[in-house]
Amino acid sequence: MNKLAIISAFLGGVRNRYMVYEEERVLEEKFRLASRIEGIAGLELCYPADFENPDLLKKLLSDHGLGVSSVNVRSRRTGKWWRGAFTSESAAERGEVVDDFKRALDLTGEIGVKRITTCPLNDGHDYAFEMNYIDAYRYAEETFAAICAYAGEVKVCIEYKWNDPRVRCLFASAGETAAFCQAVGVENLGATLDFGHSIQTGERPAQAAALLARAGRLFYIHLNDNDRNFDWDLMPGAFHFWEFIEFFYYLKELGYTHDWYAYDVMSKEIDTVETFNTVSGVTRRLEALADRIDRQEMARLMKQRNPAQTLGHLYRTLL
Amino acid sequence: MKTWRFCVNAGFFGRRRDRFTEYQPDRTLEEKFDLISRIEGIDGVELKYPVDLKDIGFAKKLLTDHGLACAAVNVDIKDAVHFRYGALSAKSADARARAVGMLREGMDAAADLGANLVSTCPLAEGYDYPFQIDYTDAWGHFIESVKAVASYRKDVKLALEYQPHEPHSRILLGNVGKILHLCAQVDVPNIGANLDIGHSFAALESPAESAALLAGKERLFYVHTNDNTGDGGDWDMISGTVHFWHWLELLYTLNQTGYAGWLGGDIAPKQFGPVDAFGTNTRMIRRMITLLERIGEDTLENLIQQDGNTAEIYDYLSKVLISGS
Repeated sequence: MNKLAIISAFLGGVRNRYMVYEEERVLEEKFRLASRIEGIAGLELCYPADFENPDLLKKLLSDHGLGVSSVNVRSRRTGKWWRGAFTSESAAERGEVVDDFKRALDLTGEIGVKRITTCPLNDGHDYAFEMNYIDAYRYAEETFAAICAYAGEVKVCIEYKWNDPRVRCLFASAGETAAFCQAVGVENLGATLDFGHSIQTGERPAQAAALLARAGRLFYIHLNDNDRNFDWDLMPGAFHFWEFIEFFYYLKELGYTHDWYAYDVMSKEIDTVETFNTVSGVTRRLEALADRIDRQEMARLMKQRNPAQTLGHLYRTLL
Repeated sequence: MKTWRFCVNAGFFGRRRDRFTEYQPDRTLEEKFDLISRIEGIDGVELKYPVDLKDIGFAKKLLTDHGLACAAVNVDIKDAVHFRYGALSAKSADARARAVGMLREGMDAAADLGANLVSTCPLAEGYDYPFQIDYTDAWGHFIESVKAVASYRKDVKLALEYQPHEPHSRILLGNVGKILHLCAQVDVPNIGANLDIGHSFAALESPAESAALLAGKERLFYVHTNDNTGDGGDWDMISGTVHFWHWLELLYTLNQTGYAGWLGGDIAPKQFGPVDAFGTNTRMIRRMITLLERIGEDTLENLIQQDGNTAEIYDYLSKVLISGS
């Protein structure tokens, strides 16, 4: 069974461009909140914010008995790397990004974690003719190659996303990310499949998982949901009930089974602990529904490719 | 072609951030005016209430000193402290009273500043999940609250700015049809729309059609100019950078319907800053107007009056656009 983690940032300040729902919380408070949430075994830590005092971090992890699913290395910072971190036109800036990832990897090693993830949010564009795409891909290949070479045994995950804060991010889909990883050509570069990002970009997440796994690039999973219009980071299963069941069904088929799910869910105006209690409970219920599917029978039904039969079977046997 | 008046939304001249990044620092009202006065072709400012209007006398002085008119007062009723579960549509009578009170204060300020126009984007009225709110109750409260604002003083217009989503995945006042419904329910002449062009694209509309519908009911009070990719994100991009032909059609329609209000710039300055963002936005719109004059309003009108000639329309438009072709 996959363990459940929360990205630490979602236990801190909750805000968007219009509203501030929760003020920022200190690291100790984030850990205290995480410990109160049912079914949560760990955190996805954020670099640099959570690593200001590595000794305190280690103590908190030990005191609360929480694991770490991954370290999320922030590629966007206020005041710098504005026009992309991995794809900046400035070679000096790209060098600075690689150096910063090396520091993050050193600290990740200190806490014994074997995976970092990053969402290249600012690596994209707003306007036509804003960016030279050919150069941008080349810069990104060079930057990620340098990071991966230093990472060694540690897996490096790119969390693809269609947009926000840029109108178009460079890595929008599983296909673009898989192709990019294959172009870089190192084994420790892969994808974080964020369920909500996958939905927003027009994918069926189970299919995206299959594509990435076949390419050897399905490294990590984030769970949340949205209505396809935007990356709202809502509670899993609120919109895409059957897609979640199909997704969990496939993750077992693909062997993503003794790993982690990390949540990026915005609690917004709802209490943070209450939100994540529901989120973890709903996840386990959706998994249980997926597990009710008779795999032999489903395999037989899929061979027929007759959704009238398959949907009837699912409604008869699962609900 | 008619005379056009351009203003800017002062909200974009202060601190700008999204959920990920802070792009622009906080600025004082003097600093905002200093930046605005550096933009060519701007005659007015949409000021935010309460943040820009804590001292109305001072705001008046800055307007006079810079030779700018107050185009509208934009009342902010969407903070998560008082309006966490809605403002005009909230279940809480206190929250509703507070929102109505703020809009009335905004109306007084607008009258004092000679704008006689209040704009507000009711973004606290919305929801994320199925089964989260009672739609009948929420709409009932919303309509009653808007009535309470409108009846306060008839000499000031209230322009409601619709937007399909953000910060909630659904906003009650999400499209042109809903605002026309609201106006019909409230049924007083001083309630209308602030047609934000990007919001209209985000709501999957053709803004020219929305403008025509609103103008037909005398509900088009104000226009926010910007653009986006029509994929759901309200990116507040420079007008015409994505939807060039739609923008041209919008300007043609505004002219045809006799729109007499302001064109209010509403552009994300991101990392390049508000002076460049709003300067280019204004020049792009002015150049599109020049292009429309070159196209010829009468010629275009004659072409549109015929059926089945879409190819001919675009052949003509592109021939005028690209000289020598």
